[in-house]
Amino acid sequence: MTDAHVVGSGIIDFGEKYEWSFDDLLEGAYLDLVESVDHGIEPTKDIDAIWYGTLDIANEGASGASVAHATGLFEKPATQIVNACATGSDAFRNAVQAVKAGDVEVALVIGAEKMLDSTEGLIGGAALERLWRGRGVTMPAFFGMRATRHMEQYDTTREQIAEVSVKNHENGTKYPHAHQQFECTVDDVTESATVSYPLNLYDCCPVTDGACAVLVTNDERAREFTDAPVRVAGYGFSTDSFMRGDDLALTNFPASRQASSMAYERSGYGPDDVDVAEVHDCFSITELITYEDLGFCEQGEAGAFIDDGVPHLDGDKPVNPSGGLLSKGHPIGATGVAQIAEIFEQLRGEAGDVQVPDAEVGLQHNIGIGRNATGAVSCVNILER
Amino acid sequence: MSGPRYHRTRAQDQRLLAFECQSCGYVSFPDERRTCKRCGDAPATFEEVRLAERGEVETFVVQEYLPDDIEVPQPLAIVDLPQADGEGESARVYGLLTETELDELSVGTEVEARFRELFDDGERPINSFKFAVPREVKR
Repeated sequence: MTDAHVVGSGIIDFGEKYEWSFDDLLEGAYLDLVESVDHGIEPTKDIDAIWYGTLDIANEGASGASVAHATGLFEKPATQIVNACATGSDAFRNAVQAVKAGDVEVALVIGAEKMLDSTEGLIGGAALERLWRGRGVTMPAFFGMRATRHMEQYDTTREQIAEVSVKNHENGTKYPHAHQQFECTVDDVTESATVSYPLNLYDCCPVTDGACAVLVTNDERAREFTDAPVRVAGYGFSTDSFMRGDDLALTNFPASRQASSMAYERSGYGPDDVDVAEVHDCFSITELITYEDLGFCEQGEAGAFIDDGVPHLDGDKPVNPSGGLLSKGHPIGATGVAQIAEIFEQLRGEAGDVQVPDAEVGLQHNIGIGRNATGAVSCVNILER
Repeated sequence: MSGPRYHRTRAQDQRLLAFECQSCGYVSFPDERRTCKRCGDAPATFEEVRLAERGEVETFVVQEYLPDDIEVPQPLAIVDLPQADGEGESARVYGLLTETELDELSVGTEVEARFRELFDDGERPINSFKFAVPREVKR
């Protein structure tokens, strides 16, 4: 069986893109990819299949045909992937599997979300939940419940949670495609408006439009596109729910432990081998508990992990050099693909002001919460130079 | 929001009816299924059990930003409710809380279910419960 390799990426600047249509977002990321493949690409000839990630928040009736309309890539298999906030990662994983299986030689993975055309967005849907008897849980509440319990159980402090947001906003000012380009302090976070106690405004990622694309191919074709391909060393995907009764699911995400275990096993790498990581930080607390779920630190020690500066850009294990979702933004279908694109750049030494020196192994982690708001889908991909 | 989905779970909402897996002891609430979420038994055998009206807060939040038609602050909790007969495992239950004062709430706080009309779906009342700190244990 062949390996799968990432051989190109394209992205647009994330932000409030009121002048851009959904198709404009897709086209922008696609054209950036086409124009940046090292040795060039003839898209209609080279690309065999497309995996397209979007939740279709804008309600545009998305399908495989939509991505063909936006890119001109008709007469090919085009599959829309929908898997909550892990949609983009799962689109990538599906493309990797098809390439590894030998069924597809060159796959385009593209993710996009037009978050700002809908005034309701996720809030309305999330609040109308049967389990909560019609009045209930929003995303900040779902993640906030982990924060409440983690603080109680492990003496994690409010300041340690805030530090994730401080770190990621600082990184975001150095990453050109980030939506929010400002720094903040721990006090800014802890004194900002309460969204859902214990989480405040600066603990929450912004609402952002964006799109990103990567190109995946096999051993035989990889060097046709670049002299510096990035190998997909492993991947994993899993689901779990705190309704199953495990207390660990009240503070953490067992699905992330399962998905990362699969990816570590497939790749032969472990958490200590990871040089740089892009992880899901839809809220500050999400990144903090993910340090534990990915095995970067022991259970309950995430607060000390960030106090020690380990996940900072100049630390031993930099996490979210791109600014993460907190600063870069979280256009859902694009999010996981953009994490892959950042790891691709990091491992090729092309990450500019957020470059982690000599990064050889990179991990990408993306979770999603479905409408039943009880658990998570989690996707982990490991790439290597 | 349509009414029938609430009608289906009225025994859970109004009488705290739950379902115990005979393979692994998992207590399902409010889902009444033929498969078990914990052990994966399929088909699983479930027996009806009643939950106690008092349990313990496992974690909570207080929501401050919600769509305009929902009152804030809106506290929510995950509460472990033991079975009424004291046997078997507790059920992990989502619920709204009446308390909005943070000093009344912490992980481990004892709360009781109070049954009431929660809202209406435009055609009929939806009766269920909210959790509240029992008066005798209030600080």
